[in-house]
Amino acid sequence: MTRKLLDIAGIGADRLHLAWVSSAEAQRFAEIATNVTESVKSQGKFDASGFAMELDAAEMTLNGEILRWFVGKEHTITSKGDVYGRKWDKEKFEEMLDSVLEREYQKNLIYCAIKAGNTSVREISKRTGLELMRISYLLADMEKASTVAFKGMTDRKPEFAAL
Amino acid sequence: MEDFEPKIVAFLCNWCAYAGADLAGVSRLQYPSNMRTVRVMCSGRVDPVFIVKAFKEGCDGALVSG
Repeated sequence: MTRKLLDIAGIGADRLHLAWVSSAEAQRFAEIATNVTESVKSQGKFDASGFAMELDAAEMTLNGEILRWFVGKEHTITSKGDVYGRKWDKEKFEEMLDSVLEREYQKNLIYCAIKAGNTSVREISKRTGLELMRISYLLADMEKASTVAFKGMTDRKPEFAAL
Repeated sequence: MEDFEPKIVAFLCNWCAYAGADLAGVSRLQYPSNMRTVRVMCSGRVDPVFIVKAFKEGCDGALVSG
């Protein structure tokens, strides 16, 4: 999930490696250490300052209750079904998780962009690279959750504030 | 770019990968020294937020191993 998020944020999933090594497998650990170093080396230096907003949004997303709730329910939903008695298979759940992950990340990115002083939809789009329609859609959602508020019109453009 | 040495934060489980790394050291196996190890009591202890924080602090890669 974290690797998917790193991909969505444009950092690249390949910067994060997961590996299982037992205590007796020194050889395997040495191999993994070599492979990981080679892989990261080939991807070059990571410029954290260029990704400051993306990293903030990623952290907010991972800290957010929606994702934590969702991930914690995986076993129950895929094995027993949800509260309405509907059965979900693994793929369907993954699909849902992907869309929740993307939506939450984009919302947090918009929030960070507004915080950084990009208050109109066009400015947010320029800063985040998201489509105008998508931003309007998410802003409406965020207004309902009171994370952003409509501030008024400037030059016939709606302006938003992050709460 | 030839002499670029990446900084990699490695979260290692005390009982599995950390012991493996230790053994690799004791048996004098050669492996790159780019890892900055964080020993955790279980790899389940690693919160995804730790990884994002590591990237924020300027590491180039991360490894979670258990």
